[in-house]
Amino acid sequence: MKKLKDFFRYDNAGLLFIFPAFIYMMVFVGYPIISNIFLSFQDVSVKNLVKGEKHFIGFENYINIFNDGVFIKALGNTLLFTVSCLIFQFLIGFLLALLFCKKFSLAKPIRGLTMIPWMMPMTVTALMFKFMFSTDVGIINYILRKAGLIKQNIEWLTTPGTAMIAVIIANVWIGIPFNTILISTGLSTIPQELYESASVDGANALQKFVKITLPLLRPTIESVLVLGFIYTFKVYDIVYVMTEGGPVNSTHLLSTYSYKLSFDLFQYSKGSAVANVLFLILFLVGLLYLKITMEGEND
Amino acid sequence: MDERNLSKKKNIIYNIVAVLILIILLFPLFWTFITSLKTEKEIFLNPPTWYPHELNTKSYAAQVETGDFNMFKSFFNSFVISSGAMAISVILAVPASYAIARYKFIGRKAMLLGFLVTQMLPVSVLLTPMFIMFRNLKMYNTWGAAILADATIGIPFSVLILKNYFASIPAALEEAAYIDGCTRFSAFMRILVPVAKPGVIVCAVFSFLYGWGDLAYGMTFILDQEKRPITAGIFNFMGQYGTKWSYLTAFAIVAIIPVTLIFIFMQKYIISGMTNGAVKG
Repeated sequence: MKKLKDFFRYDNAGLLFIFPAFIYMMVFVGYPIISNIFLSFQDVSVKNLVKGEKHFIGFENYINIFNDGVFIKALGNTLLFTVSCLIFQFLIGFLLALLFCKKFSLAKPIRGLTMIPWMMPMTVTALMFKFMFSTDVGIINYILRKAGLIKQNIEWLTTPGTAMIAVIIANVWIGIPFNTILISTGLSTIPQELYESASVDGANALQKFVKITLPLLRPTIESVLVLGFIYTFKVYDIVYVMTEGGPVNSTHLLSTYSYKLSFDLFQYSKGSAVANVLFLILFLVGLLYLKITMEGEND
Repeated sequence: MDERNLSKKKNIIYNIVAVLILIILLFPLFWTFITSLKTEKEIFLNPPTWYPHELNTKSYAAQVETGDFNMFKSFFNSFVISSGAMAISVILAVPASYAIARYKFIGRKAMLLGFLVTQMLPVSVLLTPMFIMFRNLKMYNTWGAAILADATIGIPFSVLILKNYFASIPAALEEAAYIDGCTRFSAFMRILVPVAKPGVIVCAVFSFLYGWGDLAYGMTFILDQEKRPITAGIFNFMGQYGTKWSYLTAFAIVAIIPVTLIFIFMQKYIISGMTNGAVKG
């Protein structure tokens, strides 16, 4: 008893404070992760989910999904979706951050209002964009027609290709505030004197941007991009609500395909295998992120 | 960047540019709101009308009535689920983050890493195992399942945010409390938590928002439309009445009421959460 008390006396007292959260996460996150790995090596479907025998079938699910055209398509789609979203949300977010760091009178309230898209439930965002992209009543087709860019209405969400463009646009809309706010914070940490002395030395705006802003902003840019990659790569709601992966699987991402396998087709084990591939990719990118952020922190 | 004060002319130009950008960015919201006040006939007019010529509030009124259009119930479900997830997240994350900020206990680094990794987890990895678990626990098809699942998003986020708050509180404050006879626990409750209150609010707000925005858990673990959150209700409704846009847009507006309120009253906490949560990891 005394030994136990001594153990928790100093630094290990922290264990008592973290214990409840730790147990919770082990039960509701740790256990499911392990269980999902087991599941992906079994043959669980709707028949034997609750009762009945489950067999270990080794790598069969993984071999099956890599021979499955839809999985390969979803993998490619996920990469295309993530990279396109990242490029656009980063560039637009960066430009907005540069605008808002000018000290004009409405800068702060307007920057605040641009955060709204990020806070909204993705289901609602998906609904709004589904409405705007709809063929006959969609405002986007109307605007494009008015501008003379198209003659006939585009069937955005029911044509492969344009459906992908539509979900990317919807997701960029959500991602812009995240990029704006992080880059704004990064910009505000750059010491003002640097710009002043550069002005004294006769540097123009472009030179200041390339020689001061970009290099000093590098850590911020790195974490914005890696975090953006992680968040975008696992996006589920937007696509599921707007297209459910269709038409003809053209917008299926790994996340939506995994959900479809498990909860529409009840092939739980195959769905788990897809989810694990998704997780593995995110995990590797996550390690990269940790390497970046932990470099500065030594605790 | 350039912090020098702007000239009057430049100030006006920047303001105009910023307002124009804001109008474009928030246009989807404006358009959804306008549409929710139009009649179904007016929505299908070509060219579209920029404001409702005939004001129609029926789509909102239908939501408190019974039947398929009753979103009021889903709103309440969402509220219960998000509040429950928020309570669990805050209660568990506050002491945990204090431990990480203040004590160098065994396994600290591994646990911190664990919280970081959880934040990167796709929902699909947890869905099926949780689904089986909740069935075995006889919690399938209850609010509880969604609450427990949603809290797994709030907890790691809150721990990572709050550890920075606790780390920034001077250790002398805590030591003074010990001298005055506080135990570790009472010092934590009476001195540290009140000082870290802004951080606790950030965590509460985000945990609530995560719960409010969730679709996957609410839809998968709750079967009855009667108990489902509003996001699942909207999704369901879209599947059944795909083109009833006046109702759909009205549901969308109702679903973002809490988000709007949180935004109006807690904006500074939102911005603080977004920056601290991501940059410092």
